[in-house]
Amino acid sequence: MKNSEFSGPRYWKSLDDLAETPAFKDWIEREFPAGAADMEGVNRRHFMKVMAASFGLAGLGMAGCRRPEQNILPYSKQPENVIPGVPVYYTSSMPSARDNVPVIVETHTGRPTKIEGNPSFKPYGGATTVYTQASILDLYDPDRATKSKASGATLSPAAVRDRLDALRQTHGANQGAGLVFLAEPSTSPSRAKLVKQIKQAFPQAIWAENTAIDQSTSEQAAQAVFGQSLRSLPEFTKAKRVLALDAEFLMNADGSLSQARDFTKTRKVKDSKDAKKMSRLYSVESTLTSTGSMADHRLRLSSSQMGAFIAQVGAAVLNKKHVGGPLAAELAKIGGSLKVDAQWVDACATDLVENAGHSIIIAGEHLPKSVHAIVIAINEALSAPINYVAVPTAEQGIAAAVARLNKGTVETLVILGGNPVYDAPIDLNWSAAQAQATESIYIGGSANETSEAASLFIARSHYLETWGDGRTFDGTLVPVQPMIEPLFETFNELEILARLAGESVTDGYSIAQATFAELGGSDFNKFLSDGVLDGSAYNSASPVLDYLQVASAIKSDELKAFELSADQLEVRFAPSSHAYDGRFANNGWMMECPDPITKLTWDNAIQISPSLARELESTQGIQIFPSKKPMNKQSDFFEGAKGTLQTNKANFRRGKEDAVVVELTVNGVTIEAPIHVVPGLANYTVVLPLGMGRKVVGRVGQGVGFDAYAARTSSSLGCALGASIKLTEKTFFLANTQEHWSMEGRALVRENTATGYAKKPDFVNKVGVESHAPLNYGKDADKSLQEQSVNQYRGNSAYDHISFSKPAPNVKVWKGNEDKFPVPQQWGMAIDMNSCIGCSACVVACQSENNVPIVGKDQVLRGREMHWMRIDRYFSAEQYDQTEVPDDVQVSYMGMMCQHCENAPCEQVCPVNATVHDTSGLNTMAYNRCVGTRYCANNCPYKVRRFNFLDWNKRQIGEFYKGPLGPVDEPELEKMNANPNVTVRMRGVMEKCTFCTQRIEAAKIEQKRLAGASDDIRIADGNIKVACQQVCPTDAITFGDISDADSEVSKMKANDRNYSVLGYLNARPRTTYLARLRNPNPEMPDAYEKPYAYAQYDERYGHGSHDAHADDHGAGHDDHHGHEHSSHSEDAPAAH
Amino acid sequence: MANVFPRWVNTIPIKVIVALVLIVTTVTVGITYYATPKYTRVGYAPTQPVAFSHALHAGQLELDCRYCHTFVDRSEHSNVPASNVCMTCHSMVKKDSATLAPVRESYESGEPIPWVRVHKTPDYVYFNHSVHVNRGISCVECHGRVDQMEVVEHAKSFSMSFCLDCHRNPEDSIRPIEEVYNLDWERPTGPEAQAEFEGFVHDWKVNPPQSCSGCHR
Repeated sequence: MKNSEFSGPRYWKSLDDLAETPAFKDWIEREFPAGAADMEGVNRRHFMKVMAASFGLAGLGMAGCRRPEQNILPYSKQPENVIPGVPVYYTSSMPSARDNVPVIVETHTGRPTKIEGNPSFKPYGGATTVYTQASILDLYDPDRATKSKASGATLSPAAVRDRLDALRQTHGANQGAGLVFLAEPSTSPSRAKLVKQIKQAFPQAIWAENTAIDQSTSEQAAQAVFGQSLRSLPEFTKAKRVLALDAEFLMNADGSLSQARDFTKTRKVKDSKDAKKMSRLYSVESTLTSTGSMADHRLRLSSSQMGAFIAQVGAAVLNKKHVGGPLAAELAKIGGSLKVDAQWVDACATDLVENAGHSIIIAGEHLPKSVHAIVIAINEALSAPINYVAVPTAEQGIAAAVARLNKGTVETLVILGGNPVYDAPIDLNWSAAQAQATESIYIGGSANETSEAASLFIARSHYLETWGDGRTFDGTLVPVQPMIEPLFETFNELEILARLAGESVTDGYSIAQATFAELGGSDFNKFLSDGVLDGSAYNSASPVLDYLQVASAIKSDELKAFELSADQLEVRFAPSSHAYDGRFANNGWMMECPDPITKLTWDNAIQISPSLARELESTQGIQIFPSKKPMNKQSDFFEGAKGTLQTNKANFRRGKEDAVVVELTVNGVTIEAPIHVVPGLANYTVVLPLGMGRKVVGRVGQGVGFDAYAARTSSSLGCALGASIKLTEKTFFLANTQEHWSMEGRALVRENTATGYAKKPDFVNKVGVESHAPLNYGKDADKSLQEQSVNQYRGNSAYDHISFSKPAPNVKVWKGNEDKFPVPQQWGMAIDMNSCIGCSACVVACQSENNVPIVGKDQVLRGREMHWMRIDRYFSAEQYDQTEVPDDVQVSYMGMMCQHCENAPCEQVCPVNATVHDTSGLNTMAYNRCVGTRYCANNCPYKVRRFNFLDWNKRQIGEFYKGPLGPVDEPELEKMNANPNVTVRMRGVMEKCTFCTQRIEAAKIEQKRLAGASDDIRIADGNIKVACQQVCPTDAITFGDISDADSEVSKMKANDRNYSVLGYLNARPRTTYLARLRNPNPEMPDAYEKPYAYAQYDERYGHGSHDAHADDHGAGHDDHHGHEHSSHSEDAPAAH
Repeated sequence: MANVFPRWVNTIPIKVIVALVLIVTTVTVGITYYATPKYTRVGYAPTQPVAFSHALHAGQLELDCRYCHTFVDRSEHSNVPASNVCMTCHSMVKKDSATLAPVRESYESGEPIPWVRVHKTPDYVYFNHSVHVNRGISCVECHGRVDQMEVVEHAKSFSMSFCLDCHRNPEDSIRPIEEVYNLDWERPTGPEAQAEFEGFVHDWKVNPPQSCSGCHR
């Protein structure tokens, strides 16, 4: 039994605890805290000298106030294609184990600043994952590897090359008998070619590949069933019914970008007649994922019970389709080990069978091979629209490398990327195995646990600095193209492999070009310019399924359902949404990007279900939930107002989540970590997010979270059984960005069922208070959106209407020619909540585009996160009980950023006119006018304004409070990341979403530049893509000119599901939302007539439905509104 | 009878005078410093590392502005030419001139010539050259008669009101597109000319922004 170390800053429950710590004692003894004492002696004298000098300067003619002399340094020889001030875009792709994401990188005078998806690759449609967005930060990470090192001493590139040549010669002599390679998997055909050559040069050597998050189980199952390694590419565009089996196929999985894109295409609903065509998603899952939150029916089930469950579904489907022969009976037998609602299984199977040819089953890659074999068989029986493509067989795994190392005959171990010391299964004891090798060489992009243990560290270049190639999930060839010469003396891994293979050509460009030609490409420059090679995808296969083969591939012990209990818990190891498998542990953007479900930043917590939390609370006597009674039980006011305020679902101290720390024991290892209660988890499943708690990592990742790899064995890579939890008295602050779980019956996210919508297409404006409030536009309510956008009608007010269609009063030139005046285009946005999967790629894309700083955990705890865009996540439950945490929930996402209100409440309170409207309807923010009163943030009903409390950009995390004497070090490297077209904000100013005004202005200027002496100045629809819209894999965000009735955004806003959040405030936001639809199956036992959120709204307002009196609203309010609706005035507009 | 006023009252007049003098001085100095052309750098003409004469090149030799400032009509910046642009002529003309030594040195070594910046907008202003020169605003409107300057100097104030004056009354500065780079062009006056300029504004739909977002992002 060993204790993994509980890392992270500790928080003490009391001062006594604190006083016991050595740091505190030391602090008392020193009298002055560290730093203050440094002012003594020489330092103080120096300080006085400096200060005296600056006082002197201040007195001398105020020379310091004058603008300093600046130099302009032009090129000596102007390079081609570089126009200072005009960004250049290059294609490339972000390498990963199985799925290179094709990208286009924006560079400013040679410096990459922003990554966007490459729309030339149609399946991903220009989208990227959240990690791809954040990967640019790693290029400018001050803690990245800058030099190669041999036992602490720096090595020159030439010395490294000599070492590599020597290595080849030594091991070439005995055919590589003493040589072991352990590499991260890669999609690069160039690398595959070099690996083949290395294997030829060293036939006795071992080439093994290892990745912590293996997503190839389905391919191994296909190998067993079909006899060849096949990858399944479901055609979700054809799917009407989807059953997801513990599968997070919408985000963070290989190929998820196209899957999310295609799946949500079947959920786009143009009008109420279209609603019937919507697809239906069943999700059976152990953890709450974005797939589960998109599901129309969701069943909570532990991972270890999935096998028996799918066997039941399989038996039902095969029986209904009369195929499969003996397999059906065998599946029925296996399925018998699990007790689950038979009606759920049956109704689901019936629905799948009825839509055969259009139904797909997809299973999570952490599930055993047998589950995937059954899924293949059911999909076959359903004639599911799935393309199988032949993929290269996987290399042998890390176990082979360990076996050879443990023989003790290995002289050289070459580790190419990855971090096995940190993430290898503990039963392999990799550290000891690595130590067996006489010499170990680690090739990687930054120092980590493995590089520490290696004798030679070769610094590897970032992918934005290297030539290479790769394949997307479907096999399409994409380039890896450098944007910049390596910033440091780092190596391309292709060069290293080429040198080891003894190749004469060692530069990445030539290698990639040669591979391209071998793969049948003809025009390399066109390939680089397009970023994809059309028609280079893997060959599709049409395998014939033999059900008997499936039956023999199934191992019943992999499928048996286990009885779980509070003492026999199931642990799910899942990649962290922050660090993935640990590779992004030093990436500040990822650390601060809230987890889509838990909304935690800068930490990973053990996620447990509410049921388990209650059980542990009662058996172990330690409080997890707060004991407060709901306010309405104690207060007449709230009772009268039906103010069913929910209690917090976790203990909060001054807004900081104070999580109970537990000891979790699994696989003989005890892990100490805080817990976070998440609804929607299977009762006895707990989630351990991997990838955090790194020991050797840069400054950002230091002391963040706990290490879940410490308990992972090779037999329990995805999930482990037999865990137990002991609550402790300790607590730990978690930086949670959304304390509130529920909308409390408020109509923020409006939802309906597809059938409900078909029956009542105008439901969306009958849900909110708007159906009761006076019409926002008064007598002008019937005017079109286009007219309303240009002319700000004041309702029945006597004030003049503000109009953007007329020249400003101080402009004379249009007098008499008013009809010719070019009316500015009016920008607006529509967000389709039916498509949003909550993946948060928009949050990081916005951060990258708009120079949004990170603030660190301590500041997030104080509620000072700076994200311009956030994704609000709400839970709603069938039974609306504000005192209990529900287990079965429906999840709603809402992307929230500045709504650019026409009647912006923030503008009305700004004492210095720092935030005002422009003539395109944008709510602008002039930073240089802002004096930081924060009135605007106070008055914003959407809580989207962010204040620079401290100097986030100029100071390092942890040094914000050092005052004017603190070091102001803005590392040159980090500065290079900034978008030059967006101001880097200073301390004391307010900021918020600008609708990417820099992109609007750039498009305007470009259009006018091209127009020259003509009047062709209107920007065509679709020419401006804002950062969040560009990255969105599901096209949930539309942006454009709302004064043009034919623009995409106008069409979206014309949809009858379109509504404004808190519309009754008459702020008239330019960003509107399209209500979400769910598509339940009425035959299912858990069918619902209305989505829970909608039902909660009805319940809260106590009149079931607005149908009864909705029609008479226009005519005027009758008496009965008086008492029933009095509560609406108390409807606090808290969006958060 | 005791004194009505305490003794310290005696010093009030002198204190008031001293305070007034201080206040007046501060205000005068402040206004002189911050509100006169000196602050907006009108007349600023630093010595450049190479004594390049615009009067000779742009004036006498009538080189087009874009011969050196190549990207002015394509980019937000009007680039300062690279040394190789100088060398296109000066590898043949005056190739041994001592004045040009820094240029040759830069061309050979690859090190840039450290020209001293004359015109500068604040960091929070995003000015774009291309949209102005392509829509009938000449270089001369902001930079003055550079073709007559031996040493480039700051001719206009570059204050926010300088920008806004023109953005409000573009008809007073707009000119035919073909005359944009002709610094010598004389602006016709009279009602007919005025009508022509207003015609440009109307026909090209020139509506320069007065909103914050036009220049500040």
